[in-house]
Amino acid sequence: MRKKECIAMLLAGGQGSRLGSLTRNIAKPAVSFAGKYRIIDFSLSNCTHSNIDTVGVLTQYKPFVLNSYIGKGSAWDLNCLNGGVHILPPFLGENQGSWYKGTANAIYQNIDFINFYNPEYILILSGDHIYQMDYYDMLTFHKQAQAEVTLSTIAVPWEEASRFGVMTTDESGRISEFAEKPVHPQSNLASMGVYIFNWEVLKEALWEDEADVNSEKDFGKNVIPRLLQQGKRIYSYLFHGYWRDVGTIESYYNANMEVLREEKIDKFFELKQRIFSNEEILAPHYIGAEAKIQDSLIGNGCTILGEVHHSIISAGVYVGEGSFIEDSILLPNAEVHKNVRLWKTILGENATVQDDCCIGVEGEDEPAQEGITVIGDHLQIPRGAVIGEGKNVTKDDVRKEGGQ
Amino acid sequence: MSSAIGIISANMNSSVLQGLAQERPIAAVPFGGRYRLLDFALSSMVNSGIRTVGLVTPQQYRPMLDHLGAGKDWSLDRKSGGLFILPGAIHSLGHYDIRFSLKDIALNIEFLEKDCARNVIISSSDHVFNADFRPIIDHHDQVEADVTLVYNQSDRPFEREDLIYLRGKEDGRITGLGKNCEMSGPDTPCKYFIDLFIIRRELLLQMIEGYRSVENIELIEIIAQHLGELKVHGYFFGGYVGRIHSVSDYFQSNLALLREEIRKDLFINTQPIRTKIRDNPPAKYGKKAQVKNSLISSGCTIEGTVENTILSRGIVIEEGCEIQNCIIMSKCVIGKGSKLQNVILDKFVAVNEGNVLQGQVNQPLVISKKAII
Repeated sequence: MRKKECIAMLLAGGQGSRLGSLTRNIAKPAVSFAGKYRIIDFSLSNCTHSNIDTVGVLTQYKPFVLNSYIGKGSAWDLNCLNGGVHILPPFLGENQGSWYKGTANAIYQNIDFINFYNPEYILILSGDHIYQMDYYDMLTFHKQAQAEVTLSTIAVPWEEASRFGVMTTDESGRISEFAEKPVHPQSNLASMGVYIFNWEVLKEALWEDEADVNSEKDFGKNVIPRLLQQGKRIYSYLFHGYWRDVGTIESYYNANMEVLREEKIDKFFELKQRIFSNEEILAPHYIGAEAKIQDSLIGNGCTILGEVHHSIISAGVYVGEGSFIEDSILLPNAEVHKNVRLWKTILGENATVQDDCCIGVEGEDEPAQEGITVIGDHLQIPRGAVIGEGKNVTKDDVRKEGGQ
Repeated sequence: MSSAIGIISANMNSSVLQGLAQERPIAAVPFGGRYRLLDFALSSMVNSGIRTVGLVTPQQYRPMLDHLGAGKDWSLDRKSGGLFILPGAIHSLGHYDIRFSLKDIALNIEFLEKDCARNVIISSSDHVFNADFRPIIDHHDQVEADVTLVYNQSDRPFEREDLIYLRGKEDGRITGLGKNCEMSGPDTPCKYFIDLFIIRRELLLQMIEGYRSVENIELIEIIAQHLGELKVHGYFFGGYVGRIHSVSDYFQSNLALLREEIRKDLFINTQPIRTKIRDNPPAKYGKKAQVKNSLISSGCTIEGTVENTILSRGIVIEEGCEIQNCIIMSKCVIGKGSKLQNVILDKFVAVNEGNVLQGQVNQPLVISKKAII
């Protein structure tokens, strides 16, 4: 095997439990975004545009949709000779092997895979952020600074800094301190979860981490603090572009709505950094004679017969006559029958809302999750149901309702 | 199903579509928002399990190859079989009406010789349909036909100059072919050929051998001449078929997609029509958008009023526009306050602010590619 300069390892095994019923059946990187994409499209497309042609995707939690979506990577032009996309689930060996116990352990268990390509550098990505970034620029920085580790960082508002791993740097960008979710942050430089390591340095660090019984086998909590302690040359690469964390219902909803509000979507399509996706080939969408659509995004294959305001409608969605949808996100292949009202609702993939339902109805109490209602994928909301705002509707809820 | 390979004939007279097919073969004329005409025949073949398809190209085939690439979007980029480009003959004016030229196929005889499939399914590239060929091929083999001609029928007389009509016996055997609608006989529905047929590969090779000395001849004509010796059967298709043989056909067949039953037949209750994927973002509707009864493709930005219209990818409709009964191809920009009615805009047309363009329902106005108005 010819030596590769840099390969990417994409951590896509997390459950993303803070996305509630959206990740009941699929892994977080497979969750739909902005009516067209899945979250993992952003990292994979960034790899393609950064000339990184070998990507290991580490999967563990409910991987089926993710695996079939990625396929051999051809949708992102990653089906190349000598590289390409490799799905890496946990596996057994002669005397070891187990579930991935943490981000660092997941990489540790695939040391053989990485050695096969024998790269100089290794890029660690998490498949759950929305951003457009050229990793090649970061790699150039890494080489110029003669760093052993480079963390990509972004300036976040001071009041939010304590939600992230934040770092303090000197003038050259070398990191002197790293604190995971500090109560009193010393800096507002947050880690984006994008790391470049010299492979030799990382390999050694992974062995050490594996040997440490007290370690949680996590990059942010264990590996990077230990390397910092050892005085390794760790640098911060300050990123100025668009980057959104979509780890919670609120941030997921707001990032989607931001796409609608601003011109972000045009950026996703800019030729140089176009975000690719593995879409199903569907016909153009049909807008009915009585329909009304304003301030919205509508995907391919939809049939819209009702009213849609300030909403994102993903591919293959059906909205029946007399229905009214506002401030909502409908995920692929969701179905809304007749005379339904939806306010500020995220309707899961393949979910069905039957006639005359009202979802996202204002209640008297202060609603949870900013009043966003979430209907899990594949759920069937029976005719005439009324669901209050801020609810997270799961399969169990629907079953209970049916039993009453 | 027994094995079959496909041939799509795209080397045909394109002058019937005037400006729309001036710089491109009919096969590559954009249709239905995101497709090109040949997508329908090609997707039907792929969806029917046909893994080897030869495409007979006319001279100006760049737009076609640009669209097809290596056939990846139809999963025709294969180790065995796949998409084959068969350069067609250069036809003289006298042969303008030939649709399935034997010479086109004879020039590419290796394509037929090196495969061992029993049948060849041959389709035109100017028909809009979504067909499953498997039952047709099964039927062809079951009755041990040499040729199966696929037709649709109409209870009322259905006269078109460009159609071939069939007369058949009750057992499905075809006994006559003609240019006249009464051909099918009294008290029977009028059967018209939809430019789609299956022929035994060995027989096709024999025909090429037998007609070697003839300069150019229509394949259907050969079949018509040999109805006595050959076992020629008919097969009733029954699904929607849009025949694009004039600008008016093109206009009406596009608008027909606004009818639910036709969309169901072509797109919804069936296998997908595949096309080149461009990864456009979803269409964006502004705060003043008013869209009714229209088919809208991805990448469009709409701020104005759109009615009974087909929009291709990446079109910008600015504020105050009124678009009615139009077919607009990709990347057009319609400036503020423009009014368009019964108009076909080819790709990359820019209509400046406040313009008024008006065609007739039976004679739409065609604006050619890259025009600035």
